[in-house]
Amino acid sequence: MRDLPWLTLLIFWPLAAAVAMPLFRRSREACRSYALAAALIEAAMALLVILLFAVGRSSLPATEDVAWIPALGIRYTLTCDGLSLVFVALTAFIGVCCMLASRHDDMKRPALYYALILCSLATVQGVFLATDLFLFALFWEAQLIPVFFLIGIFGHGDRMRVAIKFFLFSAVGGLLMFLAVIALGIYAADGPTGPTFALYDLTRLHLPLATARWLFAAFVLSFAIKIPLVPVHMWLPDAHTEAPTAGSLILAGLLLKTGGYALIRFALPLFPEAAVAYAPVLTVLGLIGLFYASWVALAQEDVKRLVAYSSIGHMGLAVAAIVSGSRLALGGAVVMMVSHGLTSGGLFAQAGMIGERMGSRRFAVLGGIWNKAPRFGAAFLVCVLASAALPGLSGFVGEAMIVFGLFRVDVVTGAFAVLGMAATLIYLLRLARDTLFGPPRSDAPFADLSPRETALMAALVLAMLWIGLFPGPVLSIISAPLDIIAGQVWPAVATVTTGLGL
Amino acid sequence: MPAQLTGLFPDLIPHMALAAGGLATLGAAIFRRGAPKGLLPILAALFALVPGIWAFQSGPDASGMTRFYAGLLSAITLGTIGLLARYADERKFSGDALYGLTLWSALGMLLLAEATDWLMLLLGLELASLCLYALVAARLNDRLGAEAALKYFLPGAVALATLTFGISLIYAGSGTLDIADSLAAGGPIVTAGLALALVGIGFKLSLAPIHLWTPDTYQGAPAPVAAFLSTGSKAATAAALLHLCADASPDAMGVLSPALVAISGLSMAVGNIGALRQKSVKRLLAYSSIAQMGYIAMAALAVESGGGEAALFYLAAYALMDLGAFGAVGALSGDAADRDAITSYQGLGYDHPWLAGALAFCLLSLAGLPPTAGFIGKFLVFGAALRAGYTGLAVFGILMAVIGIFYALRLVATLYMRESVEAYPAVPAPAGPAAGLTLWAVAAGLLWLGVWPGPLMAAIAKLVGGQG
Repeated sequence: MRDLPWLTLLIFWPLAAAVAMPLFRRSREACRSYALAAALIEAAMALLVILLFAVGRSSLPATEDVAWIPALGIRYTLTCDGLSLVFVALTAFIGVCCMLASRHDDMKRPALYYALILCSLATVQGVFLATDLFLFALFWEAQLIPVFFLIGIFGHGDRMRVAIKFFLFSAVGGLLMFLAVIALGIYAADGPTGPTFALYDLTRLHLPLATARWLFAAFVLSFAIKIPLVPVHMWLPDAHTEAPTAGSLILAGLLLKTGGYALIRFALPLFPEAAVAYAPVLTVLGLIGLFYASWVALAQEDVKRLVAYSSIGHMGLAVAAIVSGSRLALGGAVVMMVSHGLTSGGLFAQAGMIGERMGSRRFAVLGGIWNKAPRFGAAFLVCVLASAALPGLSGFVGEAMIVFGLFRVDVVTGAFAVLGMAATLIYLLRLARDTLFGPPRSDAPFADLSPRETALMAALVLAMLWIGLFPGPVLSIISAPLDIIAGQVWPAVATVTTGLGL
Repeated sequence: MPAQLTGLFPDLIPHMALAAGGLATLGAAIFRRGAPKGLLPILAALFALVPGIWAFQSGPDASGMTRFYAGLLSAITLGTIGLLARYADERKFSGDALYGLTLWSALGMLLLAEATDWLMLLLGLELASLCLYALVAARLNDRLGAEAALKYFLPGAVALATLTFGISLIYAGSGTLDIADSLAAGGPIVTAGLALALVGIGFKLSLAPIHLWTPDTYQGAPAPVAAFLSTGSKAATAAALLHLCADASPDAMGVLSPALVAISGLSMAVGNIGALRQKSVKRLLAYSSIAQMGYIAMAALAVESGGGEAALFYLAAYALMDLGAFGAVGALSGDAADRDAITSYQGLGYDHPWLAGALAFCLLSLAGLPPTAGFIGKFLVFGAALRAGYTGLAVFGILMAVIGIFYALRLVATLYMRESVEAYPAVPAPAGPAAGLTLWAVAAGLLWLGVWPGPLMAAIAKLVGGQG
């Protein structure tokens, strides 16, 4: 049944599709159709992998493992367990959304534009699937390159400066992590397994305490920049604002998620002691981010910038949940990251539509869209409400789990988290009010959703509803891998709360 | 296998091929005045190919270092000839001397790389350098080139004197000219001599603080010559540095390693930070090569902990990247002068997708980004440094590497993220099929080493292991 190397295909199919892209460069329509077809095939493969697992659950996690650089013990190891699978599916889904959301940004060089999106999908899938640390570090660095070009070539404003800023911020973290990965490999070479970069082997290393803490710091710095955690978030608002729509979707929906995912998958199990020791720092930074982002978001005059700051807040809460030591909050963080991928994806797509229609995304020209374009307004409102964690929509599940989890661990943290979520409500309601309702501040007409945009928003809204109403499948699929990780990092916690995992 | 090559001196085949090749190109020009244009480069390329074939064919008794360098220098020389052929032709300085000097310079580099004797080291270094001085000035009516050659030659002569004095001290202190024996002898005089010898070698490697000639010379030299200079002579001199670090006695290393740490750190800092402020692409690449040599010096420090293998891999990768980068600059240049100002590269990525694509790929590799050979090279070099315990230097080096990413990206961004400017016509002189082929072979090599480094690493480990 699983004869084909599905995981490898998931990574390399978009890359292969991107290589063939120049063949279509003569016609923009051909580029669009071909790119959409490639993204749909990727999504279909992700779905197929899910189905393969659904049929025979015992085959989770699936592994593809080939010797790569034998002299150093580096292997090409891809592992797909439930946690990876959720993000792989999200990546494929966002990929389709990217293809649907781009109409005005692909004007100048459509073939290059879609090829970069496809390359980006490939590298992100690699990050979610690699369990050899060297391979992971390679994909981690590589994922910056297509996004760099995407922002720099197709962005707006001072796009070249923004693209380089984005790249440098990420590269600082990435290279320090790279050094830490090398150091881990060297420690492993002295150990019983010989040189290896396999995640599973490295989690069993007994590192000196101080070393482990330094290495943890290097890993976490890299992930924190990507997440982004205050105070290393400075690249994000600029990058989001100037990026083309698909670039924003990829940044918010995928790249930020790679940070959270890597924190769970790599930083926690590799350095459990350091993770516990530094958890308070990360929690505080995450919660500060939540309040800070709400505060700054309130002052924004640009729809996209406001949504960008909301990303910082939501991901800050996710970080606080990930390191909290509560298995429930950890699961909540994963759901929340998926939900955030969907809601911010929807909001960025619609911010892009506003920009296309009005020529500006400033609140000064908005207002009254609800009356001008009811379908657009409805979709926008659903995204805002899902982001604000209205029960029944995707945001609620994650945030509820996080809050319950945090309260069980520490009442003060939980209280601050709730307060922070209340703060997010303020700017989200302002976002809805100033765009949808109130008197229109501009006489310009506002076309309602076209069939293509309707399809895009319908897919996103349905996904939000699905996670909001039936989170069961997602929760059950991530429960086993999260149990294992929690068991490694907080042995006591895991045994107590495993039953509450759902 | 060695049977088909066993002559009188099987181990000397690469050297004789290079020497005879130089003579043959000169002779061909004398005896056939009206020879077709392509004759000289093709003849030179055929001779340059011999060491490469020998490297793959020779028996296990050949020295590992020689085999590695025969292969590497053969590739570099072939690449240089490919890049040079049409370039020199278009600019009217192609001739027998150009190819003859290239081959002889390669011979000097080979002798330098495999030298186990101080005199041979000196001879190789000087043969390589003397030919290079002339090559830099090969374009006769080009004042910049002549100035560059002078700026390379005068300090080079001082460096040679320093090296010679260092060698004489070593000989005085140890009584032998064999590198390993003399360094094993130890003692203060030998250590002082070694320090002076390192100054001479450091000059050729453009290690800070004796790097000042590099940007001027690279900027003034014709781009393909700069490619040859920055890859071949650097690779060969780095071999000498590795050799010295591997053979130096523990007490000599005790004195030298702090100095090397400082030099390595300084080179990374000066190279990377210096490149930030450049408005000229060739100067930028020159500073970048200073920084790359800092990484090599770091690997040389860690030579006991696998730094040797790491450095050899890095050198192979570096040779490809710089050959490609300078080669692309040459291929993209108009016939009056090389395309040098960074602003003149605006939007070239779309006007010349293949040539500029090769340049961008080499730059990404210089920055150490995956999936290129530069990424694997950095991995190996930093791994060796960490294993040898130079943690601080490694962290410093990584931070400097981020700066390296910045200027490489700035140039890549200029290629793709700016609109082309009317003032800088996008039309280069025809680069010819050989240059295009070379650039694409280089890019393919970088990708291949980046994705599949195993075979080369295994080969290097075998060669180094076989030697020691």
